Amino acid sequence: MSGTGPRESIFPTRMALTNTKVRLKGAQTGHSLLAKKRDALTTRFRAILRRVDEAKRKMGRVMQLASFSLAEVTYATGDISYLVQEQAKSASFKVKARQENVSGVVLPAFEVDRVPGSDFNLTGLGRGGQQVLRAKEVYAKAVETLVELASLQTAFMILDEVIRATNRRVNAIEHVIIPRLENTIKYITSELDEMDREEFFRLKKVQGKKKRDAEASEALRKTLAAAEEAPASPDVSGGGGDLLGSKDEDVIF
Amino acid sequence: MEALLFNVSGGFLEGIVRGYKAGLLTQNQYNNLTQCETIEDLRTQLSATDYGNFLANEPMPISTSTISEKATQVLVDQFNFLRSNAVEPLSKFLEYMTYAYMIDNIVLVITGTLHGRNVDELLQRCHPLGMFDTLGTLGAATNGEELYHFVLRDTPLANYFRDSVTAADLDDLNIEIIRNTLYKAYLEDFDGFCQTLGGPTADIMHNILSFEADRRAINITINSFGTQLTKEQRAKLFPTIGRLFPEGNNALARADDIDQVRQACEGFSEYRAFFEASSGGGSRANGNGAGGGESTANLLGDLSEELGAAADLEDRFFVHEVHLNKLAFLQQFQYAVFYSYIKLKEQEIRSLTWIAECIAQNARDRIHDFIPIF
Amino acid sequence: MANQQDRNLLAVIGDEDSVTGLLLAGIGNVGQDQKKNFLVVDSKTQIPVIEQAFEEFTTRKDIAILLINQHIAEKIRPMVDKYQAAFPALLEIPSKDHPYDPSKDSILKRVQKLFGE
Repeated sequence: MSGTGPRESIFPTRMALTNTKVRLKGAQTGHSLLAKKRDALTTRFRAILRRVDEAKRKMGRVMQLASFSLAEVTYATGDISYLVQEQAKSASFKVKARQENVSGVVLPAFEVDRVPGSDFNLTGLGRGGQQVLRAKEVYAKAVETLVELASLQTAFMILDEVIRATNRRVNAIEHVIIPRLENTIKYITSELDEMDREEFFRLKKVQGKKKRDAEASEALRKTLAAAEEAPASPDVSGGGGDLLGSKDEDVIF
Repeated sequence: MEALLFNVSGGFLEGIVRGYKAGLLTQNQYNNLTQCETIEDLRTQLSATDYGNFLANEPMPISTSTISEKATQVLVDQFNFLRSNAVEPLSKFLEYMTYAYMIDNIVLVITGTLHGRNVDELLQRCHPLGMFDTLGTLGAATNGEELYHFVLRDTPLANYFRDSVTAADLDDLNIEIIRNTLYKAYLEDFDGFCQTLGGPTADIMHNILSFEADRRAINITINSFGTQLTKEQRAKLFPTIGRLFPEGNNALARADDIDQVRQACEGFSEYRAFFEASSGGGSRANGNGAGGGESTANLLGDLSEELGAAADLEDRFFVHEVHLNKLAFLQQFQYAVFYSYIKLKEQEIRSLTWIAECIAQNARDRIHDFIPIF
Repeated sequence: MANQQDRNLLAVIGDEDSVTGLLLAGIGNVGQDQKKNFLVVDSKTQIPVIEQAFEEFTTRKDIAILLINQHIAEKIRPMVDKYQAAFPALLEIPSKDHPYDPSKDSILKRVQKLFGE
């Protein structure tokens, strides 16, 4: 029925019907495209999910190793933490954001950007310098793992967000826009049909009336003709009457 | 001669220190400690040793740093007891021993001061053995210049500073150089002082100190590869009392890689042994290190062999130092026992911290990599 | 996206050992005005100080990744859980005395939830 469900407020014309049909077509195409995008993203997402899980666990081990190497430093040189904190000046271990495109979603990925810095170069010069060096390497490796994990995690967050948005759109199209368009089309079609029927009925009615009028006027003419039979010449009036009658019918149909 | 008069002033303290020495952890006790599953177990085991209940009042998650802190406190108490009972020249000797810690403390305070840190906070981090009255006033200086002219002049280390450091040197880059310059001056001074004492003290201390000097020279050389420390600067940091001096030192000053360091040490059988063993694939003498090293390598890929070998070298130095210090106890009537005891105790604390660290971090395969004393 | 190119620092809130190690790796940066990109938290550090640092690091424009020790994150958990932005990426790392516990990680919690469903 045309009256059920939400529809767009629109005049039920043929023009509008064509437009709406085009829009429905568009919505359906959009829906299938978005659904495809969602599937692609979800596949990606699942892969990342697994890697995040893995990387997080790996991080646990790597960090443990790293802090152990720090324990070695402490063993050899004593407490260097304060000196290290004070001597930190500018970062030699930075990251660069790179962008990766997955189905139109820009995913940032961090890349390690290490410049050989001279910080703490002389730390542990007299004792334990090798351990310090080792700890530096181990920690640098650990931080690389962390950076990798951070990119995964950021990708995870963004993908999560995008997938949600896409899901919302897919659902919106599927459950709101398409039904509404369909309703509109139904409404327009039914209205048009209704109008057709009304028109037909009206025409019938008009035809009936015309017919009745024609019959009435014919009857009147006949009576008039019968009345004027005597004074008027039969030739002229007979021919004229025939001509008018046939002409009238042509005008109507 | 010394046998006749030593006991008049030093006999009591020598007895004490030999008593302390008997309280060092034995191999058996170490075995027990390494069997511990948790830090709590470790505490229980330790309470059966000479450390007693030193951890009894600590709240439960005991961190390894707390253990090392408390153990150091035990050492400091013992040292202070010795010091307060000592008379000349032993008191002077003990004072000399604290200078090494003072150097570290001063360097720490200087670093902090240059960055405008709070002095109280800095003092908490200083080694308690290296505390002296005027240390706090170091923080009063606002810049390097002032620090040098008004404050450092009043510290016990003024002599070392005067000879080696100018006000302009006081900045971040040089801090390690300053530390090592001071240390060199200190070692030479200490050795000179021991020579004035004469007798077995001089002999034994010279042995220990010259090893310390050589160790520093070798370490500085190895550690300065690939840094901006020039060879001239490097050469200035080498103490001149070691057995490597002067020929070996010169060779070290020219060395560019670890092989040349090895060549410089060729002439000394003990040192040669360090390098021979450490170049042999980096496997540790006690064989326990291999497992840990391997898993490390697996996870982290390619940490260069050289690093591992050099780290091993450091371990060997520790072992040799312990050995020398143990020898010091074989002779009576001399002061080196005091020095040796403190060094051994320090090593023990390090080992203890190591064990605690291994337990806390669940790295049981490395737990045997400490250096036992007896 | 342009401003994400400027984010190239790592920041850390952690205990002494973690911070020291990470600084050794070379992440330390002290700006012109002595603004550091690391905070050492010990047993005496007040929670508001941590929260303030967290706030600062998450709003700074030059930080790409914020590392925080898990046991410290635990202290300001509501704040950490509330933090959803992608930049800077928040990463909970284990510390020496507190081995990693995956079940507490706010990200991993979401991962688990997604896997569980």
